[in-house]
Amino acid sequence: MGLLKVSASPHIRHEDTTRVLMSDVILAMIPLLIWGAYVFGLRVLTITAVSIVSCVVFEALFNLILKKKIPVGDLSAVVSGMLLAFNLPATIPLWIPVIGAFFAMVVVKGLFGGLGKNFMNPVLAARAFLFGSWPSHMTTYSAPLERLSAFGKIDAVSSATTLTELKNGALPSEDIFDLFIGNMAGCIGEVSAMLILAGGIYLLVRKVITWQIPVAFIATVALLTFAFAPDGVSNLSFMMAELFSGGVMLGAVFMATDYVTSPVTAKGRLIYGIGCGALTVFIRFFGGYPEGVSFAILIMNLFVWYLDRATKPRKFGGIRNAKA
Amino acid sequence: MSLTFKGGLHPEENKITAKSPIEVMPEPATVAIAMSQHIGAPCIPTVKKGDYVYKGQTVGEGQGGLTCPVHSSISGTVIGIEDRVGAFGQKVTHVVIENDFKSELLPEIKPNSKSLEESTFDEIVEIIKSAGIAGLGGATFPTHFKVASAKGKGEKLIINCCECEPYITANHRLMLEKPEDIINGVKVVMKALDLKACHIAIEDNKKDAIKVMQEKVGNENGIDIKVLKTKYPQGDERQLIYAIDKIEIPTGKLPADVGRIVLNAETSAAIWRAFHDGIPLVDRVMTVTGDCVAQPKNLIVPLGTSISDIISYCGGYTGEIEKIISGGPMMGMAQWDETAPVIKGTASILCFGKKNKTQPSENCIHCGKCVGSCPMHLMPLYLASFAKQGDWESCREFDVLSCVECGCCTYQCPGNVPIVQYIRTAKGKLRK
Ligand code: SF4
Ligand code: SF4
Repeated sequence: MGLLKVSASPHIRHEDTTRVLMSDVILAMIPLLIWGAYVFGLRVLTITAVSIVSCVVFEALFNLILKKKIPVGDLSAVVSGMLLAFNLPATIPLWIPVIGAFFAMVVVKGLFGGLGKNFMNPVLAARAFLFGSWPSHMTTYSAPLERLSAFGKIDAVSSATTLTELKNGALPSEDIFDLFIGNMAGCIGEVSAMLILAGGIYLLVRKVITWQIPVAFIATVALLTFAFAPDGVSNLSFMMAELFSGGVMLGAVFMATDYVTSPVTAKGRLIYGIGCGALTVFIRFFGGYPEGVSFAILIMNLFVWYLDRATKPRKFGGIRNAKA
Repeated sequence: MSLTFKGGLHPEENKITAKSPIEVMPEPATVAIAMSQHIGAPCIPTVKKGDYVYKGQTVGEGQGGLTCPVHSSISGTVIGIEDRVGAFGQKVTHVVIENDFKSELLPEIKPNSKSLEESTFDEIVEIIKSAGIAGLGGATFPTHFKVASAKGKGEKLIINCCECEPYITANHRLMLEKPEDIINGVKVVMKALDLKACHIAIEDNKKDAIKVMQEKVGNENGIDIKVLKTKYPQGDERQLIYAIDKIEIPTGKLPADVGRIVLNAETSAAIWRAFHDGIPLVDRVMTVTGDCVAQPKNLIVPLGTSISDIISYCGGYTGEIEKIISGGPMMGMAQWDETAPVIKGTASILCFGKKNKTQPSENCIHCGKCVGSCPMHLMPLYLASFAKQGDWESCREFDVLSCVECGCCTYQCPGNVPIVQYIRTAKGKLRK
């Protein structure tokens, strides 16, 4: 009788591999992409395609040069590509996502050791880098429903986002319902709170993410903006406008939940979510920019290792019971 | 609401044999009785080549308290005393016996003339000891030792009928077919230790067994049924005691230290057979299943029967075999070769075909799923990464020694990191 294969237990595995989880994230983001294309025009698809292809290619090249295994199969570069595009305005020149992808995949993710090792969210780091280098490109928004063609010249008038109005202590002119469904100016994938929440629920049901980060993040922003609404505006309307404007929803559901750059324990995730929410509001109220989500998450990224350690669960049997 | 614990997971149950009645497998032509089928000192053969042995005759005994004698499961002639690779991959002496197919029982074996009421603690412990009973759930801790060490400390008996590992249905069928044996075994242990309470713990996926056991227990004094949520590893003693009584066994302590004694359902039935009929442990119920065996079955198999004999009785393989596992898919041991004999701890034999190949390992993506599923509330991802770096002290600091190797973390890991393997390495280093 031939010798059999011997391997260590457990001998069965859950079917959700990294690839499956990432496919779920992509699936949850597709409605956002479609909505983005509907509101801002087909150019959104071009930008997203450029961004995805750049991320995948840069990651593959980087690994090829360093003779590492090419992990494209796990689809995480595709997720990064989509998220990078989602954080750009629809008027962005097409070379910007290419540079952003290089920064995200090679500088942040690649040089810090590949999936599972980088300490900063590569997409947000890239966004911050682009923002610092080409601020006007990064903040030229087209008006909703003035659709840009896939490749044509951009002649849309730039439109202010609701965040600017909020920053000045006024309620935006759009009504809250438009803000909720995403009929407003903003980055490609961040405008529709409704579709982002739907995607978030899907990810929760599929157990891709846990509730702590998004709930803590959103609740903190809600609480603080409600409590500290400027004089003369309705607290409730101000809170909702703050929640549905800019990147809070996309940040809370898709960016802050990035595995690599968020804590692993339930308690750590709660604290992390609260921190992201509080910093977002702080930057929006007191910072130099109208938006604070990306920087809030990037700052919290720095505490992940510490949060993991500080919230290490008490091991089973680690204390004495009354009876023992 | 069913009782439960924190952590753990619910793998696909695959209890294909839940409806298959237990069959008695015919005796094989030869058996090989391993001298180490339990935790503790191995046995030394008490017979030699050429000896005639009866079924139920002691063929090996160990020294000291923590040991457990072994018996011949057939009658026939000893044809060899051999060193072979045992179920746990180490060298073990085996007594190989050729069957005369007469099934001649040792003449001294006869039903107990004493009633349970008249029996003393010492007598009962002696019966359990000489019958060679060890934890039949798979842990194979000598049962007499467990019972004896609970004297004076034990408050409650818990019968573990969880069978939380996927595929295995041996305890489930035993509850349906021989509930009295289990309950009578309970009474023997309760009498020995003068216990007033016993919980019979069953997971809520075995509704039929819960019903049967409830009926049989009736208004029996002090015995009740506890229904537990179906979740792996509910059958782990610590999680079981926690689910029922919300008591955590402190690190480094045993169930007896919190006044509990936990026995597997089949162990209880074996105690009854030994007490009542005087029959030592010569066979056991096991589930033979998996996607690569023609007729999955629940069988009573004489101990020492080779895996290949059992599989041919079950119609052979249906395709190319990848792995044979002794025990459940989460904690069982992959076997080197099919000629290995089954031992007291073999609750099941799983035959997995080629399509169960596990993918090569990838990277940790820091998803935290392992943390959420660890029933010991550890941080498996850090244990694995410290072990990978050879940082054994950090492993200790993160409580690697509390790991029970249940496999939840590795099962759950989307990055397919062989966490448990890293943990085993770290434990090995730290124990040196
Ligand atoms: S094998 Fe160890 S570390 Fe992994 S889940 Fe089980 S107890 Fe936790
Ligand atoms: S489950 Fe695997 S990938 Fe996720 S944190 Fe644990 S080790 Fe890392």
